[in-house]
Amino acid sequence: MLSERERERYKRQMMLFGDEGQERLKNAHIFIAGAGGLGSPISIYLAVAGVGTITIVDMDVVDQSNLNRQILHTDRDIGKKKTVSALAKLREYNADITINAIDTTITGDNLHELIGRADGIVDAMDNYPVRYLLNRVALDKKIPFFHGAISGFYGQATTIIPGITPCFECIFPKAPPKAVFPVVGATPGVIGTVQATEVIKYLTKQGELLAGRLFVWDGVTSKAEEIAVDKNEACPVCGAGTVKTNTTGTKK
Amino acid sequence: MRSRDCKNQHYGDEEMKAKIRFFARFRELLGTDIITDPLAGTTLAALVSNIARNNKEGYDAIFDEHGNFREFVILMQNGKRVETADAGTIMVADGDEIAIFPPVAGG
Repeated sequence: MLSERERERYKRQMMLFGDEGQERLKNAHIFIAGAGGLGSPISIYLAVAGVGTITIVDMDVVDQSNLNRQILHTDRDIGKKKTVSALAKLREYNADITINAIDTTITGDNLHELIGRADGIVDAMDNYPVRYLLNRVALDKKIPFFHGAISGFYGQATTIIPGITPCFECIFPKAPPKAVFPVVGATPGVIGTVQATEVIKYLTKQGELLAGRLFVWDGVTSKAEEIAVDKNEACPVCGAGTVKTNTTGTKK
Repeated sequence: MRSRDCKNQHYGDEEMKAKIRFFARFRELLGTDIITDPLAGTTLAALVSNIARNNKEGYDAIFDEHGNFREFVILMQNGKRVETADAGTIMVADGDEIAIFPPVAGG
């Protein structure tokens, strides 16, 4: 049940999805992998929307060069663990929700347990190897995986629903080369906000997800486009003969 | 374009058009929505590499030193994914829209 205080706090968004939607947000647990450029707007918007439990994982320390984009962290956080800084900020944004900030490196060994019974995984990582791990666990647990990535003025996002949409490895079978990427903070602002919107829509059962669609943002020309993406029948992760696909029983 | 009509006679009256759409960094280097009029029998790989040759940096961003697509490049023909390894054997058809997209990795 929502308290009076919650009703007031979320009044403007409950105009969109009512008590039922707000309760769904309150009862949800979302896992965010990363508290950096993407993780900042994602976690802030999910916190203020009233997602009841947020787990956010990062292994890094706040560096001065992070501050052009990682808006969870400020000057006074330099040298602190990102999880410490994230926890403090998110609590300030919304004291009514539960926030687990876990300072660890995501590996194939700990990921299953870290994610636990979360209802969805949000990608706020900066590399493909961990994204491949997140994708596999999302498929295993049959929970959605909200992908986002950025570089410079460019970004991309898609929503992966196990058994329904192509998986991350169907779409990106090969990782782009690892490099120190340029970035202006507004770009993860755009993409992280798209991801947070997807999570909110998924949980409240609103609208149309970026399912089977790769959203492509070009900030240089201010153009947003989409690329239709298909399952790869030969996908080593979700293709026929590996993970059994399931077209019912997911939350959508 | 008209000057090519004589060549086209080999293939009957066919006049092919294909559109190439580069995305993101590829677009910065090579432009986008490029309309080409390939000859019948042109492969996807040949079509893209011919256009990409207009800019060395653009070409190098898409193709490796052996002239093969870099493995992370996403190539689409009319909204359908094409394995870049097969691009040398798939023919361009009239009206095709070819999209070439570089995935990004940062967060």
